Amino acid sequence: MVLQVSVMTPDGIFWDNKAEEVILPTNTGQMGVLANHAPLITALDVGVTLIRTDKKWTPLAVMGGFALVKQNQITILVNGAESADTLQSEKVEASFEEAKNQLENAESEKQRVDALFQFKRARARYQVIKQLVN
Amino acid sequence: MLRRAGHSLGSRLCQRQGQLEPAVQGLKPSFAVAEEAVEGARDASTLLVKQRMKSVANIGKITKAMKMVAASKMRSAQVNTMNSRGIAEPLLKLLGDLPDAQGKKNVYVPITSDKGLCGGINTTVCKYTRASIKAEDGEDKEHSIVVLGEKGRSQLQRDLRASIHSTVADTGKVRVTFAQAAAIADGINTTEFDVARLIFNRFHSAISYKPTIATSLEKEAEAGGLLDQYEIEGPDRAELLQNLSEFNLASTLYNALMENNCSEQASRMAAMESSTKNAEEMLGKLTLTYNRTRQATITTELIEIISGATALAG
Repeated sequence: MVLQVSVMTPDGIFWDNKAEEVILPTNTGQMGVLANHAPLITALDVGVTLIRTDKKWTPLAVMGGFALVKQNQITILVNGAESADTLQSEKVEASFEEAKNQLENAESEKQRVDALFQFKRARARYQVIKQLVN
Repeated sequence: MLRRAGHSLGSRLCQRQGQLEPAVQGLKPSFAVAEEAVEGARDASTLLVKQRMKSVANIGKITKAMKMVAASKMRSAQVNTMNSRGIAEPLLKLLGDLPDAQGKKNVYVPITSDKGLCGGINTTVCKYTRASIKAEDGEDKEHSIVVLGEKGRSQLQRDLRASIHSTVADTGKVRVTFAQAAAIADGINTTEFDVARLIFNRFHSAISYKPTIATSLEKEAEAGGLLDQYEIEGPDRAELLQNLSEFNLASTLYNALMENNCSEQASRMAAMESSTKNAEEMLGKLTLTYNRTRQATITTELIEIISGATALAG
């Protein structure tokens, strides 16, 4: 395991561990990072970061930010992060459905933007929960 | 280096985490009135001294309580500060600290407390703000100030009123969230600055906090080529860099708010401790005076009685 992955949130270090592969939710789609990747900066969307340790994938919901890759050190700076341990599946599912409804029923443009943002967050959490089950 | 910086403000003063003189200053209680009473108390009625003793003892109790409140607030603030460094430090490492950054439009963000009785931390921040403005001010340069905290506002509006763009208060009462810090950062962004300087007290330990100036540029891309070694993912490089510098400002601000809040509590703790000590000292002095006066009265009365008795017997 050669990659050192640290996920930083304003409230502290969320994750700091070795890994073999990381998949980042960038603004332009998902991007995998393996060992000896070229130095890179990318913006992160609200979505799921997947971290592979041995054969186990750990999903983390991240709420937008930046990722820096340099010398096998991946620093992920985000507004917020959540893992399956910090989420409750019933709540997540309920809020995902609610966010979906809100997005569908949004009338004004402002409402739609707000709802979309809510939906993205809820979806990221939902995906984390679902991946855990699979 | 600090001391020198205090007198002649070179741009070196702007170094982040510069070793500036510790801002711990004991709070000097205004007990001068009590002092007078002590001096003149020998002939005054003991009642006056007694009243004074009572009030000094009460002040001592209050400052002691304030010290303990500050100490417990500091503990949680310290945890928050350490946690917030996690997000600010990688960015600082990535973008570098640019104390010498030059720009046409400078914005200064002094971060102060809302409440007083916390030693010299607010005065230090204001002093460094003034000095920094003076050092950077030039012919074709503009500057504006976004003040955080009630104390900074009241100190700076005396001489820099015209430059103050906006004020944000009440950042210390409840813990500021990152979203709130980002909103304040958005407010700072409306000044359309080239260089933003955040002036705050960086927390080192319970007895040491260093005035610090953190620099943030509007376009981090121009920041000395530190980013050139990185590949930039995504089609829009300019937009990413813009977002990055906004994120950087928000994180730096968030961290600075945490640091300053923690320094404030630590400084208040020290100030209140020295106030409590002063009150105790004063109480000791007053007690001595009170007892002496009482003894003097008794002695005088005894002499009067004895001499009266002797006169009668003779």
